[in-house]
Amino acid sequence: MVKYFSSGAVLSCLSAFKQGYNMELKKTSLHQKHINAKGHIVNFSGWALPVEYTSTLKEAKAVRSACGLFDASHMGEIRIRGEQALSFLQAATPNDVSLIDVGQQQYSLFINSDGGIIDDLMIYRQEDSFLCVVNALNKDKVLLWLKQNNDRGVEILDESANTALICIQGPESSAIMNTCGCNLNNLKYMHSIYSDIDGKTIFVSRSGYTGEDGFEIYSSWDDAESIWDVLVKAGENFGLTLCGLGSRNILRIEAGYSLYGHEIGENVNPYEAGLGWVIKLDKDFIAKDKLIALKLSGTVKKKVGFVLLQGGVPRQGYEVYIEDRLIGKVLSGTYSPNVNKFIGMAMIDKEFASAGTSITLKIRDRLCGGKVVKLPFIESKVKREMP
Amino acid sequence: MRFAKTHEWIKVDSDIATIGISEYAQKELGDVVYIELPKVGDKLTAGEQLGTIESTKAAGEMYSPISAEVVAVNDDLAASPQLINEDPMQRGWMVKVKIENQAELQNLMDEASYAEFIAKESD
Repeated sequence: MVKYFSSGAVLSCLSAFKQGYNMELKKTSLHQKHINAKGHIVNFSGWALPVEYTSTLKEAKAVRSACGLFDASHMGEIRIRGEQALSFLQAATPNDVSLIDVGQQQYSLFINSDGGIIDDLMIYRQEDSFLCVVNALNKDKVLLWLKQNNDRGVEILDESANTALICIQGPESSAIMNTCGCNLNNLKYMHSIYSDIDGKTIFVSRSGYTGEDGFEIYSSWDDAESIWDVLVKAGENFGLTLCGLGSRNILRIEAGYSLYGHEIGENVNPYEAGLGWVIKLDKDFIAKDKLIALKLSGTVKKKVGFVLLQGGVPRQGYEVYIEDRLIGKVLSGTYSPNVNKFIGMAMIDKEFASAGTSITLKIRDRLCGGKVVKLPFIESKVKREMP
Repeated sequence: MRFAKTHEWIKVDSDIATIGISEYAQKELGDVVYIELPKVGDKLTAGEQLGTIESTKAAGEMYSPISAEVVAVNDDLAASPQLINEDPMQRGWMVKVKIENQAELQNLMDEASYAEFIAKESD
């Protein structure tokens, strides 16, 4: 086996890994923890992070059956502060930021002048400011764009270098947090509070990238190590499993979530990406006119989910056909150990996007049957309503 | 048992040989989720493609260490590709072949040279 090719931007494959490793990679404050746990370190957007510890498939299963722990400290954190912070973000993003109160968060996008997606992000509303969590790959691009559009004199602060992010995901998350002395039983999905673990201050939200119940735990860069240790210890009796980027990718595909560079990008508009629900046309924002035009003209393409009826890993860029007609391309794909099928998402001609439509994928020189299915692939377990 | 630089092993029993991938290769690949193998009767040429293997991390081609004709294929791998991770040298075997030219085996590494080879490669 000598000829490897990448499974997409998300995973550096073997040869790329070996080349990339010679580069100076950025390390999170949990790097030594990953080394000690024998994580298989790869280059992800310039960061040295574990793609898996033991088995990507076992890690992806553990999150749905028990719990998984992820280091997502590579993510970018940008704080917006100032009297005009709300109106600035209202102009910079298409979702309605005024809908969230302090202690709530909102999924949103930055839109370019063509109506394409600069990045997707989470906006946390805090007492005196807003925290925008963006993709590591796009952080510098987004910072520049925000500064260029800062006509209201807000403070735009890059806090990424001092902000660690640990994600605990899965049905046992709440019990493990409780064991750490952090009672979050009444915290709703997409809500956040300040708390502490082992005397270290954390900002924690009930949210994640897996479709399971779980928490995203922000701390100072230097506190992350001891928080990680406390979580690992508390998780011992709950089947807590250390999880790498490989399982993170499988889980987000199963949940139907977008990943920049796959489902979304500068050349993809929110309507074709299935993110029309984010766009609030009853308020003003940058590139609103362009999105109105796109909405009125109607999109030609649509993002769909699909399952394969035979074996074969669907990878980004593979062609999708109906009979002899090329109707689109694969955005992301994987073997799903939770659905027990080869699954993926594709951007295809809208007229073929209804669930149940038979499609054919071209996997290298082989044709592989499949069908369009409704997203997500798994039932969402997030705590929208409290018991 | 002998090894190719492309990480396949070959175990010879008179004129029949069994082929699979090495422990090192399965570990580097990670969880194998899909494999494409030749059919019984297919002719293989030394150094040419034997099949395709896909893991959660990568897809790669396997090459035939020798020229031979396929006489048996491990059908268990279609439903249980994880056998390649669990037991690459035994239950994870891929094909049995009838050897065409015993001399080609001399081009392959023995266990000690292969161990040295992968030690260098993983540097």
